[in-house]
Amino acid sequence: MGTEKYINDLIEREKQMVPSPYLSTRVLAEIERKQLQANYRPSVWKAIALAASFAAVTVLGITLGNSYKGDYYPKLGMNINDSQIENLEYYNLEDYD
Amino acid sequence: MTDSELIEKINSGNTQAFKELIEKYQGVVFRTAMGFVHSKADADDLTQEVFIRVFESLHSFKGKAEFSTWLYRITANCSINFIKRNSKNRLLLSLENIFNYYSNEKTPLEQLEAAERDRLIKAAIDRLPTSQRTAFVLSRYEELPQKEVARIMNKSEGAVEQLLQRAKGNLQKKLDKTVGK
Repeated sequence: MGTEKYINDLIEREKQMVPSPYLSTRVLAEIERKQLQANYRPSVWKAIALAASFAAVTVLGITLGNSYKGDYYPKLGMNINDSQIENLEYYNLEDYD
Repeated sequence: MTDSELIEKINSGNTQAFKELIEKYQGVVFRTAMGFVHSKADADDLTQEVFIRVFESLHSFKGKAEFSTWLYRITANCSINFIKRNSKNRLLLSLENIFNYYSNEKTPLEQLEAAERDRLIKAAIDRLPTSQRTAFVLSRYEELPQKEVARIMNKSEGAVEQLLQRAKGNLQKKLDKTVGK
């Protein structure tokens, strides 16, 4: 008998609970969101234009890279050999004059 | 406005009519969901899920059965699926309920005992086989007659009576040693 009473008490307490007052608003908002999502179809032309622009940029990059010819005139290189530089100590020597 | 008038309006795109339908039946769906999940937050989510399902499949409702029968059937199916999906979270929830149990009339020890008793009863209901549990919830939470429960579950009245007897027996067998001692 005790068990049955406790079960009934629990059921009665749970039955007293009420749903959220915003339930209908939440449901309608969710339905609207789902409908918007279902109606959104990405345009085929948009996808084609996007792919074409990527391809054009890639081709342009490769063409520009290939058209670079570099310098026609070689740069001057300086080779300084330290051992050929005059030793400055000579100028400090008194008897040098 | 009758259910069939509301359904007709909803099917012709009247959102206000659907809002009216939700407000008319939200208590019924929420109580049934509470019987399955025993948590207000989960029952709220479940009620929302049920009404979205109703909106999506309302065009397939032919009116052969009562709308409420159809709605109870969807609620029971959604609840069973919800429980299967969230079986891991339910252990945490039952522990949370122990700590959140509060009543001014009881001492802390009595409160703890009452919370533990509730937890055991909920666990025993949750462990019932699906068909026994569905029959139990519809009969005890919604106080539906066996004839209506039988229509919702697509079973004979005799079968529902047997399910309810078994559910009662199983609950007493599980709880008599712990709750009813």
